[in-house]
Amino acid sequence: MKSETGFDPALFDRFPTKEERPPGEIEELERVWRAPRGWGLLTAVNNNYIGTFYVGAAFMFFVLAGFLALVMRVQLALPLQGVLPQETYNQFFTMHGTLMMFLFAVPMMEALGVLLLPQMLAARDLPFPRLSAYAFWAYFIGGTCFFMSLFFGLAPDGGWFMYPPLTSTTYSPGINADFWLLGIGFIEISAIAGAIEILVGVLKTRAPGMTLARMPIFAWAMLVFAAMILIAFPAVILATLLLELERALNWPFFDATRGGDPMLWQHLFWFFGHPEVYIIFLPAAGLVSMMVSALSRVTLVGYQLVVLALLATGFISFGVWAHHMFTTGMPTLSISFFSAASMAVSVPAGIQVFSWIATLAAGKPRHNTPTLFLVGGIVTFVIGGLTGVMVAMVPFDWQVHDTHFIVAHLHYVLIGGSVFPVFAGLYYWTPMMSRRPLSERLGKWVFWLMFAGMQITFLPMHLTGFMGMPRRVYTYLPGMGLEPTNMISTVGALTFGVGVALFIYDLARNFRFAVEGTAGNVYGGGTLEWLPNGLYAARSIPVVRSREPLWDDPNLGDDVEQGRYFLPGTPTGQRETIITSPIRAEPQYLQIMPGPSVWPLLGALFTAGFFLLLTIQAYTPAVISGILAIPSIMRWLWETDRPVAKQEVDVGGGIRLKTYATGPSTHGWWAMIMLLIVAFMVFLMLVFGFLFVFGVHPEYWIDFNASGPALPIAAVYTAGGALVLLGRHLLQREGSTLWSPTTQVLLGCLALAGAWILDFALWQDAGIDPEASAQGALIMAFLSLEGFLVGVAVLMGAYLALRTSRNMIERPRSVTFDVTMLFLVYTAAQGAASTLLTRLFPGGL
Amino acid sequence: MRAWTLLLGGLVVWTAHFLALYGVASIFPGTTIANWLVLPLTLVAVAALIFLLRRSVVQMASRDSLDRWMGRLATLGAAISLLAVVWQAIPALAR
Ligand code: HEM
Ligand SMILES: [Cu+2]
Repeated sequence: MKSETGFDPALFDRFPTKEERPPGEIEELERVWRAPRGWGLLTAVNNNYIGTFYVGAAFMFFVLAGFLALVMRVQLALPLQGVLPQETYNQFFTMHGTLMMFLFAVPMMEALGVLLLPQMLAARDLPFPRLSAYAFWAYFIGGTCFFMSLFFGLAPDGGWFMYPPLTSTTYSPGINADFWLLGIGFIEISAIAGAIEILVGVLKTRAPGMTLARMPIFAWAMLVFAAMILIAFPAVILATLLLELERALNWPFFDATRGGDPMLWQHLFWFFGHPEVYIIFLPAAGLVSMMVSALSRVTLVGYQLVVLALLATGFISFGVWAHHMFTTGMPTLSISFFSAASMAVSVPAGIQVFSWIATLAAGKPRHNTPTLFLVGGIVTFVIGGLTGVMVAMVPFDWQVHDTHFIVAHLHYVLIGGSVFPVFAGLYYWTPMMSRRPLSERLGKWVFWLMFAGMQITFLPMHLTGFMGMPRRVYTYLPGMGLEPTNMISTVGALTFGVGVALFIYDLARNFRFAVEGTAGNVYGGGTLEWLPNGLYAARSIPVVRSREPLWDDPNLGDDVEQGRYFLPGTPTGQRETIITSPIRAEPQYLQIMPGPSVWPLLGALFTAGFFLLLTIQAYTPAVISGILAIPSIMRWLWETDRPVAKQEVDVGGGIRLKTYATGPSTHGWWAMIMLLIVAFMVFLMLVFGFLFVFGVHPEYWIDFNASGPALPIAAVYTAGGALVLLGRHLLQREGSTLWSPTTQVLLGCLALAGAWILDFALWQDAGIDPEASAQGALIMAFLSLEGFLVGVAVLMGAYLALRTSRNMIERPRSVTFDVTMLFLVYTAAQGAASTLLTRLFPGGL
Repeated sequence: MRAWTLLLGGLVVWTAHFLALYGVASIFPGTTIANWLVLPLTLVAVAALIFLLRRSVVQMASRDSLDRWMGRLATLGAAISLLAVVWQAIPALAR
C-alpha cells in the first residue's frame, strides 16, 4: 500500500485493539462533549443540535413558502378572483420563489450536511463548530426578518431573479427591493460559511482509511455542492451589492442611459442561478444514492460513474447560465454554445437515474415510506428532466418562455429532484436523532397525498402554458379555455398541502429529539452514521476498510462502542477530532475544537442587524450593530488556536499524533484558501462586469489620463505583501523578538492602507464621478471592494497585535499568524491587480 | 496536488474550452472570425485531453488499488470531456 503523508498504512492493522480500556474514559468524553441545557442551548455548537435546528428552520421556511403557494393557487383557481390583489400577488410569487430557493432548498442541504456528515465520516464534529453555529444563526435570524416583511407590505415583488430595470429605483421606488438585495445577500454569506465548513470537513476529517474510493456518496455530493457554492455564490453577492449601490447611491451599473447594462445583472445572476439548481439537486441526488443502496440492501450500482456524474455536473453546470437568456438577443453563436452545454448537462443526471434504477432492480427494496418517496421522486424528476431538454432547444424555448409551461417544468425538477428526496431522507434518518421513528402507516398516506397532489397540480399546468398563460400574472380572463386546467392545478396543490400537514402531524406525534437512546438503524443502513452514537459521535473512530463498513464487519459497532479504535477517550481533555489527509485519509494530527459559546450567536445577531437595519434606512443603528459584530467575532476566535500542554498524544493503538499544526496541509489554512477563492471570485465577476459593460457601450468611456500612478500604487501594495511575508519569515527565526514579526505585519497593513488611500485620492483628483457613468461606478466599485478587504486586513492586523501583546502567538509557526498572512497577501495582490486594470484599461493600453 | 490535477484535468479542460468559445463569440459577435477561431481552440483542447488520457491510462495499471481507482475516474472524466468538447464545437464548425 502507498502512503500520502508518510504514515504507514500497516499501522491500521493494530485495530481493533485487544487490551481493556481504562475506566472513566467514557465519562470523560461525555463531560467534555456535554451540551448546555435550557437557554444555554442557544450557545450549543455540537453538530447534532445545530444540525437539527438547521433542518427544522429550513423545514419551517418550506411550510411558509408552501402556504404562500396555496394562496396563489386559490387566487388562480377561477378567472378574475379577488383573493390577492395584483401587488400582493407579485409579493407572494416573489417571496414563494425566494423562500423556496434561498431559505429552504440550499439551507436544507447544508443543514443535512451539518447533521449527517460528521456521523457519516465518523468525525467528532465538523472542523469549525462555531462557524456552523454562526452560519445557522445568521440564516435563521436573517431569514425570519426577511419573511416578516410580508406582513408590512414591504416584501420584494420583482420575482425571485429581480431583474433590473424593473427593480431599479425608477420602477421599484419602495424599500421592498432593498429587503431582497440586503436580505438575500446576507443569507448567501452564511451559505458560504457553511460551504467552507463542509468542504474542509469532507476533505480533512474523514475516518482513517476512508479513501476517496470509500467515501459515502453523500460526502462526494456535498464536496461538489460546497465547491460549487464557493464559485457560484460570489456572483450573486456581487450582483446584489451592485444593484443595492445603484439604488442607494445612484451608481448606474445597470442603467443603459448612462452606459450601464441590465444584461449584466442577468449574466451575473444566472452565472449563479443555474448552478444553484444543481447546488440543490446534487446533495439530494447524494441522499437518493445513499438510500437506494441502503433500502435495497445492495451496494450502489456504478458508484464510480455516479462520482464522475457528480463531478461533471459540477463543472458543466457553469457553462449553461445563458440558457435563461435565450430570448434576450444574444449572438446566435454564443447561444448555440449554451444550448449544446445545456443538453450535455443532462447526461450526468441521466447516469445517476440509471444507477438508481439499476440499484433498485438489483436489490430487494421493501414497500416502505422512504422507498416510496425515492421512487416517486425519481419518476417526477425524470419528467422534469424531459421538459428540461425540451426547453434547452432554443426555438422551443422561444414559444414557452415565461409561460406556465416553465412553472410546471421547474416544479417537476425541484420537487422531484429535491423535495421528495428530502422527505425520503427525513423518514430514513429521523431514527438517528429521535427516540421513535416516524410512522410508516401515516407516512404512506403522506407520500400518496404529496405525490398525487404534485402530479395533479403540475401535469395539467404544461397545457395551461401551451395555451399561452404567462407566468407571474395574478389572474386571467374567462372564456380563454384556461379555467379547467387551472382549477385542477389548485385542487392538486391543496392535496399536496394536506400531505404536508399530515407529515407535520406525524412529526408532532413521533419525533422526540434525542442523542442517546435513539430508535437507531431501522432501515439497516451500512454507513457509519448508524454506529452507536453519543454527543461525542461514535465512542471511537473506526478504521474504514470498505464503503459499507457496517455491512462488511458485523462486529464494528461493538468494537467502536468498546473503544477499540482511534481516539477512544479524550487524550487532551478537550474536544478534539482526528485530521486526516484528503486522498487516503491517513491520520495527520489531532485538532482541538472549541466548545459552546454565545459569541457566534451574538456575531450573527449583530451582522444580521447591520444588514437589516440598513434596509429600513436606520443608518446609525446599523453602523452600531456592524461595529458590535466585530468584537463578537474576535471574541469567538480568541478562544481558538490555543495549543495544549501535551505536544503529542496517543490516539489509540500506540499511534502518536501532534496536537498542534499549521501550514499548507492543515484545516485552518484550507479554510482560509477557500475564503480567498470566494474573494477572488467576487473580484473576477467584477472584472467580467467591467469588460462586459465596456464591450456593450464603449462610447460612454472616457480617458481619465489616470495611468501614470498605476505602477507606483501597485508597487506600494506589493511592498505591503512583502512585509507580511517577511514577518512570517521572522516568526520562524529563533532570534527574533516577541514583536518583530507582528511589527512587519502591521507595517504591511500600513502600506496596504496607504496604497488604497493613494489610489482613491488620485481617482478623485482625476475627476471620477460614479454617478455620471457606469465606468466611474465600476471603478468606484473596485475601490470599494478593495477598501473593504483592506479594512478587514487592518482588523486582522489589530487582532494579531492583541494576541501578540498577550504572548498568544505560537512559535515557530502559528495558525493565527499564517491565516492573517494569507489574507493580507491576497489583499495586496488584488489591490495591485485592480489598480493596474482600472488605470490601464482601456486608455493606457 | 498532482493527484487532483489528473483527476479533474479533463473537466478543467472542458471548462476552459467552453469559456474560450464563449469569449470569442462575445468578442467577435456575429462574424465568421469567431467560427474560425473555434477550430484551433478545439484542437488545443483535444490535444490536452489526449495528453491527459495517456497519463491516466498509465495510472490505471498502477499496483496500488486507490491509484488504479483514481486513474479510472480520471480516464472516464477525460473521455467524457473529449466527447463534450467536440460536441461543444459542432455548432461553430458545422457552419
Ligand atoms: C405543491 C407545492 C407548490 C406549489 C403549489 C407551488 C406553486 C407555485 C406558484 C402558483 C407559483 C407562481 C406562478 C406564477 O404566477 O408565475 C410558483 C412559482 C415558483 N415556485 Fe412554486 N410551488 C410549490 C412548490 C415549490 C417548491 C418546492 C419550490 C422550490 C424548491 C418552488 C419554487 C418556485 C419558484 C422558484 C417559482 C418562481 C417564482 C418567480 O416567478 O419568481 N415551488 N410556485
Ligand atoms: Cu438553468
